Amino acid sequence: MGIAISRSRANLISAIVVIVALSLLPVISVPQTWVLYLFLFLTYVTLANMWNLLAGYCGLISLCQPAFIGLAGYTLAIFAWVGLPFYLGVVAGAFVAAVFAVLISIPVFRLRGIYFAIGTIVLPEILRILFLMWRPVGGVMYGKGAGYPVKGATSISASEIYWLTLIIGIGSILVMRYILRSNLGLALATIRDNEGTAASSGINVFKLKLYSFVISAFITGLAGAAFYISQGFIEPTSAFSVQWTMTLMLATVIGGISIEHGPIVGSVVVVILHFLLARYSGFSMLIQGIILTFIMLVAPNGILGTLRKTPPSWSLLTMLQVSPKSQRPRNRGMFEP
Amino acid sequence: MNTLTDLAIPITMGIMLGGLYALVALGLSIVFGVMRLINVAHGDLVLLGSYLAFSIMTYLGLDPILSLVIGIPGLFFIGFFMQKYLLNRAFTISMEAPLIIAFGISIVLQNLFQIVWTPLSRGLTTSYTLKSFVMGDLHLPLVYLLDFFVGIIVMISLHQFLHKTYLGKAIVAASQDRGAAQLMGINTKQVYAFAFAIAMVFAAIAGVFLGLTFPFTPQSGVSFLIIAFGVVVLGGLGSVTGTFIGGLVMGLAQTLGGYFLGTSAQMLIAYLIVIILLATRPQGLFGR
Repeated sequence: MGIAISRSRANLISAIVVIVALSLLPVISVPQTWVLYLFLFLTYVTLANMWNLLAGYCGLISLCQPAFIGLAGYTLAIFAWVGLPFYLGVVAGAFVAAVFAVLISIPVFRLRGIYFAIGTIVLPEILRILFLMWRPVGGVMYGKGAGYPVKGATSISASEIYWLTLIIGIGSILVMRYILRSNLGLALATIRDNEGTAASSGINVFKLKLYSFVISAFITGLAGAAFYISQGFIEPTSAFSVQWTMTLMLATVIGGISIEHGPIVGSVVVVILHFLLARYSGFSMLIQGIILTFIMLVAPNGILGTLRKTPPSWSLLTMLQVSPKSQRPRNRGMFEP
Repeated sequence: MNTLTDLAIPITMGIMLGGLYALVALGLSIVFGVMRLINVAHGDLVLLGSYLAFSIMTYLGLDPILSLVIGIPGLFFIGFFMQKYLLNRAFTISMEAPLIIAFGISIVLQNLFQIVWTPLSRGLTTSYTLKSFVMGDLHLPLVYLLDFFVGIIVMISLHQFLHKTYLGKAIVAASQDRGAAQLMGINTKQVYAFAFAIAMVFAAIAGVFLGLTFPFTPQSGVSFLIIAFGVVVLGGLGSVTGTFIGGLVMGLAQTLGGYFLGTSAQMLIAYLIVIILLATRPQGLFGR
């Protein structure tokens, strides 16, 4: 027990050291590209975490995460256009994404497993068509279709956006940590393992899945809106692009799906991959697709899952192996929905 | 009177397009019926059929329909090996593995199209693509009539195949009860591979006729996938009539959507139908 406490304290301390180091990076004037890649890393961590919550813990393989990102991005652009503060726009974007999640849960939650996936793939497509037709804010912009600059985005420094994303990224990690150690996490694990049994033992399956879906939409929306401040421009084809799904799926699968820290490890790999492939932009997605297929076939549990199977010999690995599964027996509270 | 004839064109075109959409959906329906997998890459595999025909037409000068002589065996083998070496293995891993792998294949194909055939919009243009035929007062594109008849012919031959041949019966048996089929001495893994390969044959045919009817880009796969999915949900599984009616509804949704909302939004109504249908009758209009 004493070892466990000291280990968790060591974890806490190392986490704080990492967070402080990350937040100090822009101040000590490291190269701008580092900040950029860390910004991408934090965005991917957030997105992948929220997809892992759905796919890894609720059995909902959501292919509509780009819808949340795009909607939040557009809300931000509209807020900026009207002249409202950016941070309000980011939060409002997340709210719009969450409301959208509630609305679409009515049709898509009647579907199970693979049906759910295909039901959700339609949504970004519908939104893309709508946003190509519709002009949310007046004024003549770039050609046809609703491409918008995020007005005044240049006034916000890269460091400020980086800190915002850092907060969102750490927030997403903490939310995952909290959910998985709460009764909600226990119930979700039950639903994932056997939905019928979960329902018959008094778990309101629909409600809990809806909670997770809305939480996921909200935080994905935060990250999406923050991303479009840094981008400074939004247009429907890239905002609702399947590339988002690809990236967050790859990050989760590489790190380990259904593993709490999988997305963090996976996002490191994905950012390195993006860095390496940046010169071959045409082939980048092709190679990522091949990697996704390959990893799913060869190591379906990702890096962390594969490491966990082999006996842990390095202390770093044992540190990473704090999994919700090993925590589960300790959490013996009665389930309250 | 004027609006009536105006509407008559999209309605007739929609019905004819229905035959083509039923054809696009057949491959998805077989894979789903047999393996319980919604092949997210189906749209891109159909598109692969279109692009193959395009290349054969440009470099060998072969007519797109004749190019199927190469395209059908090509996609048959791609499908066979894809199932045998990728998906059969994925089924043993987890529930979500086949889906994620299919998604990966879809992304790989999309980007492959972009690299090999550039992001430009392509089309299979032949001497007869621009020809039209007269039906009453209406002048309609000949290709649409072709789509309709090919759809019907293929559906009838699939029906015959599934009920008359050994392989067809084995596929039906494996889709009904995998365990029982195995006990009867059917090699289900092999049957899966053949079922996927046959689905790809339909994808090849569908790809050529889609290419003759519409221009396509590397991103067109998703819309084909959603159309095919809509048809399958509308028509239910295993019902040839249902698939045909599903095709008609999706075809009409597209042409009427294009008529009322403009071509940029012609897919909107079809997509919305899919969502509304999922919300109200996920088992399909003719579902069991």
